[in-house]
Amino acid sequence: MKKLNSLRSRATMPTSTLRYAYFPGCVAQGACRELYQSTALLAATLGIELIELKRAACCGSGTFKEDSQLLEDTVNARNIALAEELNLPLLTHCSTCQGVIGHVDERLKAAQRDDPAYLERVNGFLNNEGCSPYRGSTEVRHLLWALVGDYGLEALAAKVQRSLAGLNCAAFYGCYLLRAQDSIPYDDPWQPESLENVFRTVGATPVYYRGRTQCCGWPISSYSTEASFQLAGKQYQDALNNGADCLVTPCPLCHLQLDSRQPEIGSLLEKSFNLPVLHLSQLVALALGCEPKALGLDRHVVSTQPVLAKLGLT
Amino acid sequence: MQVTFNIVRQRSTAPARVESYTIEAEAGQTILDCLNHIKWELDGSLAFRKNCRNTICGSCAMRINGRSALACKENVGSELARAQANAGDGTAVIAIAPLGNLPVVKDLIVEMQPFWDNLDAVEPYISTQGRQVPEREFLQTPAERAQLEQMGNCIMCGACYSECNAREVNPQFAGPHALAKAWRTVADARDQQTDTRLAQYNDTNAVWGCTRCYLCNEVCPMGVAPMEQISQIKRQLLARHDDQTSRPIRHRKRMVELVKSGGWVDERQFGVQVVGNYFRDLRGLLSIMPLGLRLLARGKFPLRFEPSEGTATVRSLITAVQQANQAENLPG
Repeated sequence: MKKLNSLRSRATMPTSTLRYAYFPGCVAQGACRELYQSTALLAATLGIELIELKRAACCGSGTFKEDSQLLEDTVNARNIALAEELNLPLLTHCSTCQGVIGHVDERLKAAQRDDPAYLERVNGFLNNEGCSPYRGSTEVRHLLWALVGDYGLEALAAKVQRSLAGLNCAAFYGCYLLRAQDSIPYDDPWQPESLENVFRTVGATPVYYRGRTQCCGWPISSYSTEASFQLAGKQYQDALNNGADCLVTPCPLCHLQLDSRQPEIGSLLEKSFNLPVLHLSQLVALALGCEPKALGLDRHVVSTQPVLAKLGLT
Repeated sequence: MQVTFNIVRQRSTAPARVESYTIEAEAGQTILDCLNHIKWELDGSLAFRKNCRNTICGSCAMRINGRSALACKENVGSELARAQANAGDGTAVIAIAPLGNLPVVKDLIVEMQPFWDNLDAVEPYISTQGRQVPEREFLQTPAERAQLEQMGNCIMCGACYSECNAREVNPQFAGPHALAKAWRTVADARDQQTDTRLAQYNDTNAVWGCTRCYLCNEVCPMGVAPMEQISQIKRQLLARHDDQTSRPIRHRKRMVELVKSGGWVDERQFGVQVVGNYFRDLRGLLSIMPLGLRLLARGKFPLRFEPSEGTATVRSLITAVQQANQAENLPG
């Protein structure tokens, strides 16, 4: 595990229970419920406490800003303020939610210093609706960063019950996780390593390929379908050419595109990719000994059987 | 210190190969200095564009350690730090390749014509009336001028175009450089073609073709943030058109409405309302039927939807923001 040395990762077991204000997002409560279940199982197995933000709302997935910046900032200031009420960091498990809410947090923290009138305006809206004000007192963290930075890879390694040795995992980070924020912890947006380090920790082998930091095509899939599918097809081919057994993504929107639409993408490009796509939570929970069915691995569009077979789990 | 440059070399359509050159270099030297050294001392056949050496002309854009950048702006020290942090050992190798999305002429020189054609297509000039020279001078307030600053800083180096994911799969896509200039002309108080321009940019080969991959913002050496300028054009279009205009516009408008009605987005409604346009677009609806059936067959289809417990508050909050935006005559 040579990469672990160069990574700013927590070296010892967390001394107290990690607690987060959990922002589930739309997709994990809709077409990717297997992600919701897997994150819950993963957290329970690691002893991480998730307090779900039942009153939160959709981050807008980057489209609110196209309508108005004030709209994106206000809706997400409220989301962050819900976590602040609990005095907890806000946990996402979606690259898009992370990029959007994380960047709003950066913008509003900057406004506290440079443009207090703007923050006052945002908080004025919140106040009128009886919401707590945004205080800039917490952080927005993706589950991936929580695993690497808060829980720590050494601590995670100690919990591995079932090594995923022999499984070639190709990371698919998602644009918003890498590039929507002004800065991100632990990773170089051009050559990220956090997912690859998680793969090594659970015994799997990371597959390096250009597509891992590129776009899946999802945002334009409802109207520029062919271009969107071409983009996804390029990333599959790249991953397969480099020996991937599966893609692993920390973004359910990428998952919707890369898993649910893979048959259509295959028909368009006249190729049968058969490339299973796992959620980050599923992969880690699998290594912690959770049962594939409990992780919803039987509810993917592209069968995950080849992955399970390679791990001797069928 | 000894630094090795692995340079992708190619002659037109011939297969590319990597050639390695090891030179003595200092941390503060620019990548362009090193390329000059290689060309002048080791191999005169190495081809690359250069001119000002000072981040002004935009000639020396190329891929350095995997991302598009100006060779005159980046230096050996920071590139090695980047490469070493990732390789985790003491390696002193810097990878150099030509820009992407453009055909290679030779080595690091690419054919820029498609880039210029895309730019020309958005008509990046102040409209004809604006171009007629007035008796005294063109007057702009400092505030009006300030709006154009960011896009005006573009040096047309091609770094954004090289990384653009939308351009990669759609040669008709206008490109981030051209769309940033498109917003510059729309935002210019002297331009009188706003309606015509916005109609032209309201297209899946223009602003709606952007995948929001953020790569243009990430690589731009001048802070132009093309993706933000594309958003500005979208904002104008969203303010002018209703959700029957096109699917991309419906996508944005229905998203806001769905969040108002459920806090979270009900994906079933999203499909019916955005793609199917409430059963008005049967072709659209049919196109997502296989997806729906597939999800159903795999037990993935969301059979139920639970609104957020904060839906009423969120609805009221969004309405208040919308009203405030309208009152200020801003889009939204």
